[in-house]
Amino acid sequence: MIPFQFRLERRLDRKWWHSVLTPLLSVLAALAAGAVFLAIEGLNPIRVYLDLFEVSFTDKFGITDSLTVAVPLILTGLAAAVAFRMNLFNIGAEGQLYLGAIFGSWAGLQFADGLPTIVGVGLVLLAGAVGGAFWALPAAFFKAYFGTSEIITTLMLTFIGLFFMRYLIFGSKSFWRDPDSANFPQGKKVPESARFELWGNTRLHWGLIFALAVVVAVWVLIRYTSIGFDMNVVGSSHASAQYAGIPVRRTVMFALLMSGALGGLAGATEVAGRAYALDPNGLQLGLGFTGIVVASLARYNPFAIVLVAVFLGGLRNAGIALQGLPGERVPVEVSLMLQGAILLFAIGGEIFSHNRLSLVRTTKAVAT
Amino acid sequence: MNDTALVLTLAASMAAAVPIALAALGELLAEKAGVINLGVEGMMLIGAVTAFQVGDASGSLWLALLAGSLAGAVFASIHAFLCVTLRANQIVSGLALVIFGIGLSTFIGKSIEGQPLATDFRPVRFGALADIPLIGPLFFNQDPMLYATIAIAVLIGVYLNRTKAGLAVRAVGESPGTADTMGVAVAAIRYIHVMLGGLLAGMGGAYLILGQVPSWSQAGTTAGIGWIALALVVFASWKPMRVILGAFLFGFARRANFWLQGEGVDIPAEFLSMMPYLLTIIVLVVWGTRDLRRKIGAPAALGIPYIRDER
Repeated sequence: MIPFQFRLERRLDRKWWHSVLTPLLSVLAALAAGAVFLAIEGLNPIRVYLDLFEVSFTDKFGITDSLTVAVPLILTGLAAAVAFRMNLFNIGAEGQLYLGAIFGSWAGLQFADGLPTIVGVGLVLLAGAVGGAFWALPAAFFKAYFGTSEIITTLMLTFIGLFFMRYLIFGSKSFWRDPDSANFPQGKKVPESARFELWGNTRLHWGLIFALAVVVAVWVLIRYTSIGFDMNVVGSSHASAQYAGIPVRRTVMFALLMSGALGGLAGATEVAGRAYALDPNGLQLGLGFTGIVVASLARYNPFAIVLVAVFLGGLRNAGIALQGLPGERVPVEVSLMLQGAILLFAIGGEIFSHNRLSLVRTTKAVAT
Repeated sequence: MNDTALVLTLAASMAAAVPIALAALGELLAEKAGVINLGVEGMMLIGAVTAFQVGDASGSLWLALLAGSLAGAVFASIHAFLCVTLRANQIVSGLALVIFGIGLSTFIGKSIEGQPLATDFRPVRFGALADIPLIGPLFFNQDPMLYATIAIAVLIGVYLNRTKAGLAVRAVGESPGTADTMGVAVAAIRYIHVMLGGLLAGMGGAYLILGQVPSWSQAGTTAGIGWIALALVVFASWKPMRVILGAFLFGFARRANFWLQGEGVDIPAEFLSMMPYLLTIIVLVVWGTRDLRRKIGAPAALGIPYIRDER
């Protein structure tokens, strides 16, 4: 046998700066690991990292583009957070986002023409939230009343949603498809009144303010309302919730539906703020899955979600922005690889901030 | 009735079943030990890109398959470290593994994109048996990996249900506390089976690039097979031989389009693609409710980190 083993011990002397230092160290460790792969491929890691930082966080357009990418991530991050903090693993924000985009673009195409922008966009967002909640409904119902694992149902529904969305644009001449796009099928564009206004000449839109408002709303709901209180109790123990007379099933349903609605809102903001149509290609970027990791890194705290989303948004944006630059620069794949590495290191780092890993000898105790 | 089209479709479905079944059998091993690993898609991609590079450099099919499998196992060890040693959330870690796997494989595979690979799996003909109508092309003229996959499923079934080591694995997945008391090394067993899971997922990815898809095309190489494998484990209610049968069914859903069109049945391809996921939900809802959970075989401690100190 191996004469030693790792043992994880809870840190008793947890300092406030641990929670600041941990994410930073995790990112640095991930960049160091990424540097190894970059060097193997014959690239200069320092140069690559400077380029990444430059395109996403230095000039005005870089920053606004990063924030634009962060908008749906904030919402999918919230979607995961409200469910995960209750140990309800809705991993289907991806599919709920697709349904939000389908419902949202439907509302925009159907009703928004001629309406004032605030009403038109409002309809898109409302329909998106309904679409997301609708897609979470089967998972929520079966979880609450039959105890069926929501992990599997939400994951399966994600792919059913994905293929349904592709059917609407690529597989049929549906209401959502632009009839003029015979060779390269695309979604029909929603009218101006269903689009978020842009900020100046940037691509950033008012969806950012909307997402931040949702962050505050979710925080208030969890912190200061009775349903939020119920959610907290049910999250920590079904038994004590039952004893306190809290309707456990209804609370589980509510949490999962709210999570779905938030995922749907992410899809709706993509329609109203960036794609202006049901855009299967643009949506297949794992925004929902990344949201889960955003929520986890932010420890399910709504405000921390914003920071993490902006950071990951910048990294995603760097990947896209680097493609558009002239000359031989950084390959676009680097940003995706780094995202994954940062996520993995941050998950590990998060544990280290709470615990200490020590190497203990496991030589058999001698009988005395 | 157009027999040849149906036979060709069925034969193709069986080939399409191989990578799905391999990845699902791997996931089954990990889940039986109590660790859910959603990172299958990532491990398959890493296996595929490694197999291509090694196959390209060495020209050896089997070396490429071995390298892809080992790469999958190494990649899975990240998940094992995070979830077993550090007790991270298995769901979050698995998803991060997918993102890292897509990113890393795309980065490594940048130079090989679109290139064909010289080596390829060839079918093994069982002499005259291969000429028997229907049965011949389906069972006696397939490439060797199909037979290997069925053999692996049988072996896993025997291992889990008929050996002492398999009993220990099931104990770790059902009740790690009890297993620990009995002197079973919970952490070691979880590590080994998560990595065996990665080995089989990597093998599935390697087989894809060596035997089925014409060239490396980033995440399109696996095209969601890793997720189907996750569904299949549930669909097959954690039973190895049912994984094989389910894989044929899911493989058929991926290949039936061509035949159905010939028959004049016009089901959109997207709806066929939904079938595995829809069937899995139905199976889960009908048999997977709380009270009947034991019956379908989901390990009781699935997804729960084991902490000895706080027992």
